Order: sequence, then structure tokens, then C-alpha cells
Amino acid sequence: MGITKVVEIPVVTTEVPIGPQHPALHEPIMLKVYADGEEVVKVEVNTGYNHRGIEKLCEKNTFYRDIFIVSRVCGICNAVHANCYVRALEQILDVTPNRRAKFLRVLSMELERIHSHMLINAVMAEIVGFETLFMQIMLDRERVMKAKEILTGNRVSADYMMVSGVRRDIDEVKRDKIKEILLKLKSKIEYYKKVFEEDETLVKRLVDVGRVKYEDATSHSFVGPLARASGVRIDSRASDKYDAYDEIPFNVITRTEGDSWARMMVRWDEILESIEMGIYILNNLPSDGNPVPDERRLPRRFPPGEAYTRVEAQRGELTYYVMSDGKTQNPYRVKIRTPSFNNIVNSAFMYVKHTLADVPVILTSIDPCISCMERVTLIDLEKGVRQRIPLKQLSSGGRK
Amino acid sequence: MMQEQKARKTGYRIIRYSPWLVHFNTGACNGCDIEVLASITPLYDPERFGVKLSPSIRHGDILVVTGAVTKKAADRLKRLYDQMPCPKFVVAVGACAIDGGVFSKSYSVVGGADKVVPVAIYIPGCPPRPEAILDGLVKLLTALREEEVQNNGCS
Amino acid sequence: MDVAEKLKLLEDFALEKSVLKPNRKLFVVEPSYVRRIFESLIEKLGHGGFYLSTIVGTDLKEENKIRLDYYVVMLPEEETVVIRTFLPRENPVIDSLIDIIPGALAGECETYDLLGVVFRGNPFLKRGFFVPTDVSEKGIYPLRKDSGV
Repeated sequence: MGITKVVEIPVVTTEVPIGPQHPALHEPIMLKVYADGEEVVKVEVNTGYNHRGIEKLCEKNTFYRDIFIVSRVCGICNAVHANCYVRALEQILDVTPNRRAKFLRVLSMELERIHSHMLINAVMAEIVGFETLFMQIMLDRERVMKAKEILTGNRVSADYMMVSGVRRDIDEVKRDKIKEILLKLKSKIEYYKKVFEEDETLVKRLVDVGRVKYEDATSHSFVGPLARASGVRIDSRASDKYDAYDEIPFNVITRTEGDSWARMMVRWDEILESIEMGIYILNNLPSDGNPVPDERRLPRRFPPGEAYTRVEAQRGELTYYVMSDGKTQNPYRVKIRTPSFNNIVNSAFMYVKHTLADVPVILTSIDPCISCMERVTLIDLEKGVRQRIPLKQLSSGGRK
Repeated sequence: MMQEQKARKTGYRIIRYSPWLVHFNTGACNGCDIEVLASITPLYDPERFGVKLSPSIRHGDILVVTGAVTKKAADRLKRLYDQMPCPKFVVAVGACAIDGGVFSKSYSVVGGADKVVPVAIYIPGCPPRPEAILDGLVKLLTALREEEVQNNGCS
Repeated sequence: MDVAEKLKLLEDFALEKSVLKPNRKLFVVEPSYVRRIFESLIEKLGHGGFYLSTIVGTDLKEENKIRLDYYVVMLPEEETVVIRTFLPRENPVIDSLIDIIPGALAGECETYDLLGVVFRGNPFLKRGFFVPTDVSEKGIYPLRKDSGV
């Protein structure tokens, strides 16, 4: 049952296991790096340390309880997970929330996008050894956490989404406070973006590292900032127009460089977009009724049906498939496909031909969310086509 | 016997002034991880207690465990714990590390961290706030001064 | 090529058509055609014209079948289409896509380990990677309805 070794490992290569507990990684993933001197020849991604069997758990619990389980697939993106699942339920039940609830949902998801992108940019600064910048960004990230706490009631997992609405409303005072925080944040973000653009240390470590071409991005099913940095315009906010995204103006950020630096820049630009969207939402918050539904009046019987929803999480397109057979209180099948799942499993080819010191940089630039990825799975990795790399070709420098 | 006690006292005193943390994610949702990360940043400033993230497990004094322990991570956790120098303590952060939380009935989850290693302090919350994490650490340090913590992992 | 023309490519293979909420076109096809559909998509659209988003396997115990759904997103309009096929429950085998679409690795390995669908031609399938060894050694596929875990 072993995996067929496709790449011949020459005798001189060194095997360097990175992880699952490693100072550069905050999450349990194990990269088995085969190096020839300083140069990476092959990478295997070994995971499974975080597999919690969530899809099976969802089948064992009721539709409403699952909202709490799916928002704990990933703490960093809990609002988008819950939103995607809740919208699938709304499709099956045929109910829609009112406009105010839709706007508030979008606001909570955009705040989450801001803090997640700031976190990964800060971690990137730490990985390349720029610890001061890490501390600075984390300090400003606390402002966003405060705004999120004002809106949803908790810093991280708030279980803000409900079927046909949200769990809390905001009043004028809270609205002004969030707006003030966002306005203050904007100038800071512009400054950090400039640092990433101009600072010599960062530029030297990031530019031309882990380049992905357009065709590679689509054939390996990459999504999110990873694909957008390679020029692939995938953004389910723009195409699916779920919740209030059809009313809120925003731009889809793409770049063409495709290297680690471009991926970080896409994230900074998206933060600026998100701040604009947040301010627009707060200025134009509709008041067409109470966004908080009465939990006791929600429908208890689910008709048979199925729904497939997509949402643009911080790391890319997140999809949920929910099926109800109409006989029980539990879903018949819940399938979660997280963006990190595609991005990490299929990424092994990116490391080849770089030095060992670049491995953490490339991994961080993907924004790996191991909890997301392994809710069910993960496997080893040299992927299909590209792994047949004859050593000769490697040494001749042709990166094929 | 006397000597042993004395050595333990010295060890406790050294840790009390500057405990170095090692963070290990045994299958968490990242919620606790980012709060642990947030609690080492300037706003909460843990260095006033001497708390610092250690670069390697072999330098660590306190192991911070987040998340429900999955079957695959369980023997990794045991191995990490065995590699730490004495005396050593384990802090379980979050509802999942305490007893498995919402994942406790899954086929691939063992349960809380105390099923695998002895735990000195439990910090509840989903996820606990950074203030709560620091509070838990300070409580552990106080308990060390009073020598209330019996299980240091190497008696 | 506009969306209607792209959908026409799939319609030629379809046994029946319907719509999955919200507004995803669904085509039911024979299992032996799946690989040919993807080959013709690559031929007509190129590798940059679509991506395979996910593979969803469902155990339909009452009908004694396993249902496989391939979710494909057409670029640049991001039109999501579903290619659905049914396999017998006792011996679910289908041709692998991994040599023409490397991105299928993730979905195929996952579906094999959790549901037991064999993708013919995929060398990376293995048990016990995400499923803990005590479950996989008993030959249990967790997402089957009679798995008992």
C-alpha cells in the first residue's frame, strides 16, 4: 500500500523534516524536505495531525447544532464558514434574511478578512526575521479585534450567523466606534504596505520566490490570493454576489507577478478594499427591520433538498455542499471544501529549486490554515504531472 | 531526600522568574492559537512576567497545548513532553484542550490533553481571551512559589 | 466562447439535466464518460479556462449506489457546473483524472480514504492517512452510512 516513489532520491540528498512542532510554523504540518546541499529537490507534505472528522460529526448532529461545529472548523475564518453553511440551509428552507442582516454579515466577514490578512503579513515579517514589524502589525491588529468584539460580541469565535439573520444588532454608538477604528486603521495599513513595497530586507527575501504561472494556478486548482497574485481573477464575492455584495462597491485585486511578494501585496490591497467596504456599510446601513430572528420561530422540519454554496474566505473560495433527506433532523451529507485544502495539498512543486531558507517563506505566503485543511484530510504530496523531475534537468537549471 | 527537595526548589525558582513557553497545536481550530499568539504581543506585554516564546522544545519550561488531541497528534504530544527538560508543566488552553469540546465524540479525537500528559493549569474559554491566558500563566507561577504544583513531570 | 457554448460541450454527454440550488447547472453522465468530458474541456478551453473545485462523494445506502459530483468552475465568468455520476456501492471504481488535472489529487485521495471510491490510475491513494489507523485497519470507511463510527 506504500506510495510509489516517483522521484529518485539520490544518495547525496539530505532529508530535513520540518514540523510538526517547529518555531517557524505555528500549526502542525510536516514538510519532508529532500535537499541537495542547500537546494530543495523534493517536498512531501505529511499531515493528518489535525484531522477531527468534522463531516461525520455534522451528520450525527442536527442542522442547527452544526452551525456551532462548522464555525469551529477554523477559528480565524469562523464567520465565513458559518455564513456559507447558514446560506446553504437558507437555500434548502427557502428563507432570506432582511437587508440589514445581510449588511451586518458582510461587515463581520470583512472585519475578519482584515485581521486575518494582517496576521499572515505579520507572521511573514517574523519568518524573514523582521520581528519589530511583526510586533507593530500585531499591535494594530488588536484594534480590528476590538471592532470585531463590538460588532459580534467576541474577539474570535462569536457564532454571529443565524438562519435568516444575525445574532446581534448594533446601535448608533457602536456604529460610530467601529467607523472610528476603521478610519484610524487606514493610514496605518497604507504605511505597512509601503514598508512591504520598499523595505530592502523584505523585498530581497520575497521577490521571485515561489513563482506560480497562470496555467499552473488553474490546473492545480489554486484559489484566493494565491491565484489572484498569478493573474487568475477568481473572486466569488464578485461572481456569486451573495448576501449584500451586489450592493456594495468593491474591486477585485489581481497582480501578475505570481511570486511570494505579489501574494503579500494582494493581501494589503484587499485590506484597503475591505476598510472601504466597511465604511460604506456603516454609512449606508439600511434599517428595514430587526436583523435578529426569533430562534423559537425558525422552521424545525427541513424539506428534502440540496444546496451548494460558495463564499470568498480570506484564503480563497470556500464551498459547502449540504444535503437533507427530509426524514430526520440531521443533514444527510455535509461536504466542506476549504481553500487551504487545495492550496496546500497541490503546492509541493512550488518549493523545488529554492533553498532551504525559502521553504518557510513559501509556505507562509500560501497562508496555510492547517485547521481548515484537515477537517477531513490530508495526504502526502508530490502531485501528479510535475513530479517527474529528472535530477539532470534540475541540475541544469530548467525548472520544469 | 533533602537534596531532592532543594533541587526542586531551585528549579521552581528559576522557572518562576522567566518561564519559556512552547506552543503546540494538537488539532485546534486556530482560534486558541491566534489568541496565544496575540497574548505575546505588545498590547498584553507578557514579558513583564518574564514570559517568552522559546525557539525549541528542548529549551521550554511550559508547554501550551491548544485544541482537542487527535489520535495522530497524541503520540507526538507525548514525545514532545518527554523531550522537555525538568521541571516541566503543561497548560491546556481552551475548551477543546480541556475535554475535547465539540469534537469529543469524533472517531479521530482522543479527548483532552490530560489523557496524554499531566496538566497543571486549565484555561477555559472558546477561545479564552489573551487576558485569561496571561491570568492562567500568572496563577501557575504563583502556585509554583507556594510549591502547590506537585506533578512536575520528573519525580 | 460564451457560457452557453461552454455548457453545450457538457450537454452532449448528459443523460439528464437539472439545477442545483442556487442556480448551478447539473449534468448527470455515465461514469465511463467523466474522463472524456474533462479531456474535451481541456481541449476546448485549455488548462486556464476552468478549474476543478471539488469532488463530493455521497453514500446513497437505500439505492445501493455511491454518487460522485465533480464541481467545475468555468473561468472567467466563474460559472459553477456540476457533473454527477453514480457508481455501484459494492465495487465503486472510476478512472482517475490526476494525470490530466493535477488539482484532482486532493479530492480523489480524500474520497478514497473516507468513502472507498477507487480512482483507477491514481498512484497516491492510500488508507490511514487522515483516518486514524485504528479505524482504517478495520477496513472502515467513516463516511459510509453503515460504518458505525
